[in-house]
Amino acid sequence: MDANSIISSLTGKFPEDICDANVESEIRTVAKVKPENVVEVCRYLKEDLSFGHLCCEFGVDYPDRNEIEVIYVIGSYEHPVILTMKAILPRDNPEVESVVPVYWNANWYERETYELFGVKYLNHPDLKPLVLPKEMLGEWPLRKDYKGFPNKTARNLV
Amino acid sequence: MDEIEQTNVEQDAVLDVGYTDVPGTMLTDSNAIADFIKKTKIQDVLNWGRKNSLWFMVNAMGCCGVELLATGMAHYDTDRFGIIPRNSPRHADVMIISGYVTKKYLPALKRIWDQMPAPKWVICFGDCAISGGPFYESYSTYQNVDDVFPVDVFVPGCPPRCEALIQGFVELQKKIEAKKDKGTDY
Amino acid sequence: MDETVGPSEMIVHLGPQHPMMPGPFRLNAKLRGETVVDSEVEMGWIHKGIEKILESKTYLQGITIVDRICYLAAMTNEEAYVGCVEKLAGIEVPERAQYIRVIMEELSRLQSHLLGMGEYASFVGFVSMFMYTIRDREDVMSLIDSVTGARVTHSFLRYGGVKDDLPDGFKDDVKYVFGNLRKAIDNYEELYRTDAIYKARTKGIGVLTADVAKDLGVSGPPLRATGVAFDIRKDEPYLVYEDLDFKVCTQTDGDVFARIQVRLDEMRESMYIIEQCLDQIPSGPLFPEGTPYGKRSPVMRVPAGEVFHRVEDPRGEMGFYMVSDGSDKPYRVKVRGPVYPTLQTLPPLLKGVPVADIVAIAGSMDTCTSEVDR
Repeated sequence: MDANSIISSLTGKFPEDICDANVESEIRTVAKVKPENVVEVCRYLKEDLSFGHLCCEFGVDYPDRNEIEVIYVIGSYEHPVILTMKAILPRDNPEVESVVPVYWNANWYERETYELFGVKYLNHPDLKPLVLPKEMLGEWPLRKDYKGFPNKTARNLV
Repeated sequence: MDEIEQTNVEQDAVLDVGYTDVPGTMLTDSNAIADFIKKTKIQDVLNWGRKNSLWFMVNAMGCCGVELLATGMAHYDTDRFGIIPRNSPRHADVMIISGYVTKKYLPALKRIWDQMPAPKWVICFGDCAISGGPFYESYSTYQNVDDVFPVDVFVPGCPPRCEALIQGFVELQKKIEAKKDKGTDY
Repeated sequence: MDETVGPSEMIVHLGPQHPMMPGPFRLNAKLRGETVVDSEVEMGWIHKGIEKILESKTYLQGITIVDRICYLAAMTNEEAYVGCVEKLAGIEVPERAQYIRVIMEELSRLQSHLLGMGEYASFVGFVSMFMYTIRDREDVMSLIDSVTGARVTHSFLRYGGVKDDLPDGFKDDVKYVFGNLRKAIDNYEELYRTDAIYKARTKGIGVLTADVAKDLGVSGPPLRATGVAFDIRKDEPYLVYEDLDFKVCTQTDGDVFARIQVRLDEMRESMYIIEQCLDQIPSGPLFPEGTPYGKRSPVMRVPAGEVFHRVEDPRGEMGFYMVSDGSDKPYRVKVRGPVYPTLQTLPPLLKGVPVADIVAIAGSMDTCTSEVDR
């Protein structure tokens, strides 16, 4: 299965949900997905296009455009093509459906994106902070306008 | 944190009973005898024993932790100085802070420190423990570790080599011999 | 995990300070008698915010930071980061530099497996094995030290090349060390295969089947122990791995014993790869000629774009996703570590095992928590 046939199959199945689908090279493809239908698209990818391996899922903050992108990098154990799928959310109230029912290992990625970016995942089995202490929840440290970085408390610096 | 406070309260209560019950008697389990010995030459003998059996706690917290493991093992063989890696804080004399102390880990580290029996010493191993190292500006790390623990020896480097850690132990031994260490309350 | 405790059940907290692996993490296990009913992993004890720090460092400064993501695989972390920038900026690496990178990455894999395997043996009560592997690891470390000048965090790769050439007499040193190491690995294998107690504690314990492992997103030796030949060096070749002859080591059992066996086989393959590289390595420059890239790399402005580059780490698939906005610093860097999904598999794997097997299973994953927390 090569990159072109994957993209044409995906856009053929979801003509309204997938846009800006693009083949960057033989093994890299990009697409944008509507946040409402992420789970259905992921299920199709996993079951019909053998994209069974979620490499990672994370957020990117764009304060100028007032958007947060949630990026799913999905690979496969059968073929070398990787699909980078982007869901664009509003920065004020980022909410997206959780893909844990499809990709089990998305659990921690989503918890991390939640505590670092404030992206709220709907129907996530256990949405709570993963790497930060509970007191820091709500600061969203990886957003670009976070005030606590760089930290100036180190006393021993010359 | 609530649990830690509770245990401290209980310990204080026990100590109060020990001092007041038997007037004029010096109990062997009280601090009085230890305070008395500190003024005599016997303390030199005790320090000689302590400095030659510095068991350290294996608590690999960062890159330095790998060097910590390697130091305790066959090649560098710290056993010849009486320095033996132990996994439990209750067996250990020396806590080595071998990496970045985060805001999340600091309460746990304090608790581990409380669990260690006195006399006990701290070595800051590596730049992260000393000043924050490459992560000095991070939102998640706690930079001034020496405010919290009575650090005796700082070993700089990122990460320091195993030989540097052995050197750090030798410096600690010298301090204990000279009664200049912070671990024993003179 | 459900915190309510039924009759004859209790919750045991293992960690964060514990002897199970380099780096703190906490396992909350709910026990009924001696059996684990449910468990939960708590992470983040050494979360240092590397992704945020990388956004404030120039590309050259970033190399130093990515070294410290996983301290047992600093070289492959660098390769993934540097590879991202090279893809974005379109830098061609000269062939000699590529060979040197392969040699150093495979040496890094050797030392990582030696430590992971030996440490694992000490978890199941076989402490003398840890002594043996650390003894042999020091020889490999001195090889790495002789090239990079550092033991753990090297900062050795540069954009377009490597910092230094191999020293004189490196080939002879490698030959001598590998002669000893081959014998040592045969020795370890014999010990593992003949020790009845070790076999009883590892065979049939913590079994992952291929389908389950794929479903859980595992990569690296734990996946290859289930019989899936998934290796980025073969599936998506980078550097000169295409020209080299090596096989992907697999086992079929998927249990703890098989994972250790995969690591033993991989060490032999790594040595074979390094020997091929030393025979084939061409002479030539270390940096592309006619470009400003060199040991002291200039202030780089990388063209705007996004890239995902992945390499095979000692523990599995290591990837970096980089977003560049055309300035001298990356806009966003995401680290995709191999241990992150592997550590997530612990709760399902530990369901129904006795307490004594927790360390055996968790240790055999060779997890490096620093990389999970970042």
